[in-house]
Amino acid sequence: MPFLEIKNVNVGFGTPDNRTEVLRNVNLSVKENEFVAIVGFSGSGKSTLIALLAGLLQPDSGQVLVGGQAVKEPSPRLGIMFQNYSLLPWLSVYENIALAVKQVFPKMKRAELDAHVKRYIGMVNLLPALDKKPGELSGGMRQRASLARTLSMQPEILLLDEPLSALDALTRGNIQDEIIRIWEQDRRTIVMITNDVDEAVLMADRIVPLTKGPEATLDQAFPVNLERPRNRTTLNTNPEFRSLRSRISRFMVALNDESKLSASQAAVDLPEIMPIDFSVYPNRPAKGRRRDRAPAIDRATTFFK
Amino acid sequence: MAEKTADKIKYRILRFLDVTGFTVFDPMVRLAFGEAPKKQLEAINKFFIVPIIFASSCVALWWVIAPQHKTKSGEVPTPDVVWQAALINDTFSQREQMKESDFVLSGELRTQALAEVEALIKVKTAELMRLDAKLVKHEAAHATQLQRKIEPLSAELSRLNAANRAARDAAKAEITKVAQKFEAGQPAEAELLAAIRNERKVSDRGRASESTVKQAIDAIRSEKYQAKEAARLDVNAVANELQFLNKRVDFLTTANRSLKVSEARQKLQSYQAGLAAAGSAKDAILEAKRVIRAEDSIERLKGQKYASAMTIYKQIQRSLFTVFIGFVLAAVIAIPIGILCGLNRIAMACLTPIISIFKPVSPVVWLLIFQIVVGAFFLDPASHPLFLFFDRLPWVGSLGINPALIFSACTVAMCAVWPALVNTALGVASIDPDHVNVARVLKLGFWNRLTKIIIPSALPLVFAGLRISLGVGWMVLIAAEALSSSDGLGKFVWDEYQNGSSFSFANILYACFVVGGIGFLLDRVMIILQRLVSFDGGGTSL
Repeated sequence: MPFLEIKNVNVGFGTPDNRTEVLRNVNLSVKENEFVAIVGFSGSGKSTLIALLAGLLQPDSGQVLVGGQAVKEPSPRLGIMFQNYSLLPWLSVYENIALAVKQVFPKMKRAELDAHVKRYIGMVNLLPALDKKPGELSGGMRQRASLARTLSMQPEILLLDEPLSALDALTRGNIQDEIIRIWEQDRRTIVMITNDVDEAVLMADRIVPLTKGPEATLDQAFPVNLERPRNRTTLNTNPEFRSLRSRISRFMVALNDESKLSASQAAVDLPEIMPIDFSVYPNRPAKGRRRDRAPAIDRATTFFK
Repeated sequence: MAEKTADKIKYRILRFLDVTGFTVFDPMVRLAFGEAPKKQLEAINKFFIVPIIFASSCVALWWVIAPQHKTKSGEVPTPDVVWQAALINDTFSQREQMKESDFVLSGELRTQALAEVEALIKVKTAELMRLDAKLVKHEAAHATQLQRKIEPLSAELSRLNAANRAARDAAKAEITKVAQKFEAGQPAEAELLAAIRNERKVSDRGRASESTVKQAIDAIRSEKYQAKEAARLDVNAVANELQFLNKRVDFLTTANRSLKVSEARQKLQSYQAGLAAAGSAKDAILEAKRVIRAEDSIERLKGQKYASAMTIYKQIQRSLFTVFIGFVLAAVIAIPIGILCGLNRIAMACLTPIISIFKPVSPVVWLLIFQIVVGAFFLDPASHPLFLFFDRLPWVGSLGINPALIFSACTVAMCAVWPALVNTALGVASIDPDHVNVARVLKLGFWNRLTKIIIPSALPLVFAGLRISLGVGWMVLIAAEALSSSDGLGKFVWDEYQNGSSFSFANILYACFVVGGIGFLLDRVMIILQRLVSFDGGGTSL
């Protein structure tokens, strides 16, 4: 019995005369304590999908079920971690997290609450920046604060919306490790959205590709059977990791090519001109250096790749 | 380590300058702490010295141009005259304070002060006599100088007069002569016309030559005799001071509160004696009534306050109070309604037409409407509980709150409400959707959502709106006060315009600077508040 389930979900935006179907016939089922990564290109509807899971958005048709119950509204049970941190800039890190904790555990006593907040801030190694405002933090620190806030609500499902895409590579690696470490200590269901295949392979149990939008849908899943704990440095030499990564990458690239091809066929014909060759300039004036005629273009190979 | 504390102080000062928006002084502070002197000097040159030079050249331009424009109320005052006006206003208010303190002095202090004042009067009287003599001397000198200069001109004038009269007579005789030709039966129309024209020409020419001489004489007469003018100013100043000192004597003697009270006490005692000695029932009643009346009057005298004239500083205080009342009123109305509009699109739709229609209405119209509408509540201001309440307050009581102030404050509120309202609505409506999502995920209730998410996020824009509101309010206030005769800077300007003394125009310009300066300070205060509440460290601008 799956814990989290998406059944035949369709979502679109806009008025009937200007409508974009973002997700078409999406199906997904996630087992309890499973770590699923959804990989897709930007603009394919990843954020829409996570908003659906979090209950921030209702599907036009179909159902999102958690533990067999339809998700009707957002709630702290579905802990979403936003792409752009969404910390309240007028509150300090501590206050941001305390606000969430107070709301989710209203019966908590003050000392208990303090300990709870500090425990989660400690979990993401932010204790030194306890009283800093988000504006005074780096992107990585903000994302960790956001993670701490989401975790402090002790959600049943953790929804991570491209949590690391705004960070530099080093910080990204750090936080990836942190998320995995926390998940391994305190298992729960995670759905993570990402555009980074390496990240997905490193972290997830299962990787589900999202096809190019509009009318994106989830394709066949790739199970990741690598053993945990996975070591970032040794993983690169692991043949299974490499084959899996290249399979997913190829799949994604194929998706991309497909969509590009379909897009280019719909496009208008370009005039047959070529850039002026300046390679020998200024020895000879540009005039007359124009190529008489452009060679025939192989649309499928040269220009539109 | 020592260097570190110096740095700390420096950064604290720089931060203060940044928050208050006085970043102009930034390089000076850095220079004082010896940071990259060359760079700082360059910055000071560019952003401090050059603007100062520009401002001074504007003042210089004013100085040059102003006297060239003659108006009905005299020359346009130059900066020094305006400065003089400021000093005169200052002296006036100091003297009012002096009189006020004299009024309540009693006992030993009073006699001491009286002695001092009387001594001063003696000195000043002597000085006045001396200055008067000087003035008389200068006046005589001026008169002789005038006579010397005018004598040749008036001789010239009488010579011209005689010559012109002769010429005119000759021309008239010519006319008669030609006209007689008609009687003789030899009509000479052309000749007669020419003669009449000639007569006209002659008399015009004569008049013109006389008037140039007359103008020359007038010019000499109106020439200022500097020494005399200076002497007259000196005499006026001392005479003024003497008048003031005599007034002080009044307040230290006959008009003094403690003296009046003790006088009344004496009267009371005599009535009490009379009551004790009353022989008949009728007398007793009479005397007893007198005693009670005397007691009442003592109470009244004790509580009596000095009726101070409105000095510019009092006007400023009153204006500030009025604008404060109006501003608070505006904020109290605008912020809740603004939040409502920002939260609810129906409310926004309901209020948009009202806002759009009433926002552009002139403050003058609002003032008149408030005078009629609000005035109906204050039919008897002297016994209205609101004014009785204000009169009892410590500082406010001395401002003399009256219905005119309430109208002005309402007008200020009415005009200041719009920017605050619109900005608040905008601030609430433009709240970051991510923050709304946070509130949704946390399932915050309405109150928590309002206080934890919406208001903090809208606060910078709310304060930006309030800042505009205060600016508008202060601007509107001056007009409202002028029109409603509510004491304050507006009335000060209006009174000066109406009374037309030699310093009126200068006083108006002085008031202009005062209004501008206070407006600037109010704006600064709002900027600081805005900076303190804004979480994004929003910039300030001039």
